[in-house]
Amino acid sequence: MQAAIDIKDLSVTFTTAAGPVHALQNLTLSVPEGGVFGFLGPNGAGKTTAMHVLLGFVEATSGSATILGTDVGQSIARQRIGYLAEHPNTYRFLTGRELLRAAGQLFLIPRSELAERIERLLDQLDLASAGDRRVGTYSRGMLQRICVAEALINDPELVILDEPTSGLDPLGRGLIRDIIADLKSRGKTVFFSSHELSEVELVCDSLAILNKGQLVAQGPADTLVPEGERLERFFMQTISKADAAGGEDA
Amino acid sequence: MRRAWTVASVAWLELLRRKEIYVLLILLGTMLFALVSMNIFGLGSVVGFVKDAGLLAAWLFGWILIVNCASRQLPQEEKRGTILPLLAKPIRRGELIVGKWLGAWSAVATAVVTFYLLTLAVVWIHGGKFDLLTLLQALILHLAALGIVAALAVALSTRLNQDAAATLTYVASATMFMLVPRVPELAANAVGWRQTCLLILYGILPHFELFDMRRRAVHQFGPMSWPVFAAILVYGAIVITILLLLAWLGFHAKRFSRSNQD
Repeated sequence: MQAAIDIKDLSVTFTTAAGPVHALQNLTLSVPEGGVFGFLGPNGAGKTTAMHVLLGFVEATSGSATILGTDVGQSIARQRIGYLAEHPNTYRFLTGRELLRAAGQLFLIPRSELAERIERLLDQLDLASAGDRRVGTYSRGMLQRICVAEALINDPELVILDEPTSGLDPLGRGLIRDIIADLKSRGKTVFFSSHELSEVELVCDSLAILNKGQLVAQGPADTLVPEGERLERFFMQTISKADAAGGEDA
Repeated sequence: MRRAWTVASVAWLELLRRKEIYVLLILLGTMLFALVSMNIFGLGSVVGFVKDAGLLAAWLFGWILIVNCASRQLPQEEKRGTILPLLAKPIRRGELIVGKWLGAWSAVATAVVTFYLLTLAVVWIHGGKFDLLTLLQALILHLAALGIVAALAVALSTRLNQDAAATLTYVASATMFMLVPRVPELAANAVGWRQTCLLILYGILPHFELFDMRRRAVHQFGPMSWPVFAAILVYGAIVITILLLLAWLGFHAKRFSRSNQD
């Protein structure tokens, strides 16, 4: 079976005034198609950098990555991807419908199909009555929902969510959880990073843990985390062990 | 190219909803109305003065609008955090550059056409007239010059923030407009490598003066010959293409991260 995401020996080094920063070091990761994949790690572990390489925002220093079989360097690789940024924002001078129409046009979705999708997404996300209002007048929760709708406008095979529950109230978190469950039930692949381990525990089929740019654990959630143990405890232990091993190496 | 049109249409809606155009349009109308109704400078032939002032205002307002609008297109995407969701879609960076340029240019071009129509109407109401063919040529060349300024602003904004790109575009375009026509005179008085440098500069800098037909339009000198007109348009298209290529070079490998959004 083709992997939704296939990363091989990926390294990213940023050059800063203080010297080179190794954001990712020889990362190799395979995310199977279908299901929910949690991408975890402490702040600065390299999760967002890895996502940015997958989306073509950052070029890898070495190694390769493919999405649904296409090299991430090709813009067509993003045709079947939906992406929700960590702090979602969008064009506040557009109405909800205009925003989704523009997003759909960038995917070259035929007009009649696009109109249908816009109405379906607005309904699904409880924004139908606000669809003709400018996004600038939306509440934070509505803004989050319209950004989710924008990410799903192309009915993506793979959805990349960067800290989707960050800064959200319980209702917002519930919405994201419902969307992830809905995508999973339709056979889509969801790849998401989060600090909210209780949320991850609820929705993930597989996990990977990143620390200081290196992969330190990966596997199906039910076998990776010992039975009866909470994900949070397992995560803390894994990071501590990795830090200790790194310290010894040093 | 369809994606570039979509980007352009969003830029259009933004400009229309920011209301800058309306403010300048009202300002221009008020200025022309004041000139005609009060004859404030005591000029006998006030209609001729209105023609001159109207076209000058169209150039000035068009210049202000195009620099502000084009220089903010890319930096604002970064500042408000919309660049990442945009680039996460299957759009090439070259298409994004062209879309941003096209959006800024076409929106300001529409405003400038309105400025010309307003000037034409005020002149006509007060019994004056323009040679329409000359005015049409003047308008088309004006729009081509705006295309060059827009491409320059977009190119600079790929590597500079909005304020820096706008300031540099203002300075560069004003300097080129006023100083480039004087370069041959300077070169004639220079010798050796100085003369060579001046002639090279004269060759490579955009010649905005070629696009300014205001005198012909105001003083009814008649239209320029069509081959010359076409050659100037081709020259404008070449300059725009070069500047957009430079913009692409500055943008195609640019790295985006959360730190860009601060």
